[in-house]
Amino acid sequence: MAAPFRTQADEAGAIQPVRLWDPVIRLTHWGIALMVLANAVLTEGGSRIHVWAGWAGLALLLLRLVWGLVGTAEARFSAFPPNPAAALRHLVRLARGRVEEYPGHNPAGAAMAYALWATLAVLMASGIWMTGGKSPMQLDAQRAAVAAGDWSVMVAEDRRDDDKALGDAVEEVHEVAGNLILFLVLLHLVGVVAESRALRRNLVLPMLFGPRE
Amino acid sequence: MTEPVAKAKTGVTRRLSNALVAFLVVQSLAAVFFVGDVIGDLIADPGSTHFITEALVTLVLVMGVVFGAVALRRTVEQMQAQQTALAVASGALAEVIGAQFAAWGLPPAERDVGFLALKGLDVAGIAALREAAQGTVRAQLTRIYAKAGVSGRAQFAAFFVEDLLGQGLPVDPA
Repeated sequence: MAAPFRTQADEAGAIQPVRLWDPVIRLTHWGIALMVLANAVLTEGGSRIHVWAGWAGLALLLLRLVWGLVGTAEARFSAFPPNPAAALRHLVRLARGRVEEYPGHNPAGAAMAYALWATLAVLMASGIWMTGGKSPMQLDAQRAAVAAGDWSVMVAEDRRDDDKALGDAVEEVHEVAGNLILFLVLLHLVGVVAESRALRRNLVLPMLFGPRE
Repeated sequence: MTEPVAKAKTGVTRRLSNALVAFLVVQSLAAVFFVGDVIGDLIADPGSTHFITEALVTLVLVMGVVFGAVALRRTVEQMQAQQTALAVASGALAEVIGAQFAAWGLPPAERDVGFLALKGLDVAGIAALREAAQGTVRAQLTRIYAKAGVSGRAQFAAFFVEDLLGQGLPVDPA
């Protein structure tokens, strides 16, 4: 009768682990994806909504990193330590169409996760630098003060920004990281499609809806 | 049979974990914005009561996020354990039924028919599945009911449901 550990077999007979993904992984994944898409395409760089979205993304990234320490088995970093050699081996196998099943991230997927997180960290750090380390609330308060005719904040701003060369460099880093993350997202999508084909099952559905009942 | 109960239980845990996730996300957002504010205050005026109070509140909030995450992990794991328990329980029930069939002295063919009947298949369905005549299946069912000492299909199913209701199997099944 029923086996104690539930697996689902599709028509091709492939065994599918049912436990992926937990709700925190899913929510932070799509939340950050939405933020990246919004700030890359929709919002204007440096605008109020761009900064707010960036900070919201920062919150989701930090939550995901905390979850990587205390979360479920498949979410924890210890379950998928960065291993470039294993990632390359997995890609070679994927190119030959013979991939193995992993209970969570495969080595190449893990490498992609770390690359995305590192790029996000650079993006957010450079973004925060560009806004003078001020939170969106403080920026809003500052804008309101300027609108009310108090220009003193602008003076302080000018004095801090006297190192213009460094400021320009950070801005450059922000832009390069912004382009890099779009490239990584594209690579990620290609990887998911290739892996789904090789495993003959849809890898996007568990990320959208979680474990099937 | 137990499944609706267990499903309802996992449903409750699932809703609880979803609520916890939503709560955790809002908490993280608040914590990050607060931390940003506190750092701004630290630069502006580190000794003020305003800064100290806000730093304390923020610290508690961040700790709340971590504790919330740990609680959520427990909930998710509990949910997975319930699903496993459910699968094991349905496997165990099959064992209980199999043992009872053996105690009634049912031959293999009648055990199969008995299982299918318990799964809710009608005579035509069982006959189609076993590639047998409907008359044969009807005769097998009659023999099963006679050996079990029950009047018909409803009582036959009730025999095992009773066990699930927590009163145990009757001492003398016949």
